Amino acid sequence: MKKSYLLIFMALAVVFTTGVWLFTTGFAVSQLGVIKFGVIGLLFAFALFIVFSRFKSERRGEPAEDELSKKIMMKASSLAFYISIYFWLGLMYYSDREPDEPRHLIGMGILGMAVIFAVCWLVIRWRGIKNG
Amino acid sequence: MDNRIRELRARHNLTQDDLARRVGVRRETIVFLEKGKYNPSLKLAWDIAKVLETSIEEVFIFEENLDQSG
Repeated sequence: MKKSYLLIFMALAVVFTTGVWLFTTGFAVSQLGVIKFGVIGLLFAFALFIVFSRFKSERRGEPAEDELSKKIMMKASSLAFYISIYFWLGLMYYSDREPDEPRHLIGMGILGMAVIFAVCWLVIRWRGIKNG
Repeated sequence: MDNRIRELRARHNLTQDDLARRVGVRRETIVFLEKGKYNPSLKLAWDIAKVLETSIEEVFIFEENLDQSG
């Protein structure tokens, strides 16, 4: 239960920060900014989906997480970490060719890592785990 | 690895929810098991066999055993 509330808190913190960012830029967002907001929205929906399924299990009298959900999380995390290394290498190559502000690159890197994790989680959940 | 969870569960008049609650996992895990998308831990396999009042070998059929029987 505590973990579910922590997930909600983190998701709301991201939405709040995005709101502040939008407000401080005077709602003048570039095309890349619109894409970033879209990705943040999708990640927020992903977090809500996980929290909702946890609450649903708890309401049914089942554990919020069990061996399957923990394995999916573990496998998705390790795969996402592996892919993220190549993603950061790609970003470094991009920054060499088209110099940009470091904070933009770090923002894109973090957002990219979150997207990679979400995709890995969805793919592993869809394919299942057969222990080799 | 194949399994007979669905068949044995029906024989005991248990729903996926019932079995999930009795072995202490989420319903989703039972769904994954029945679809053959997940191989359980030894502890979970043991618990499922116990609830279904049979042995692990009766519930879970390893591919080696399938080859022998076929």
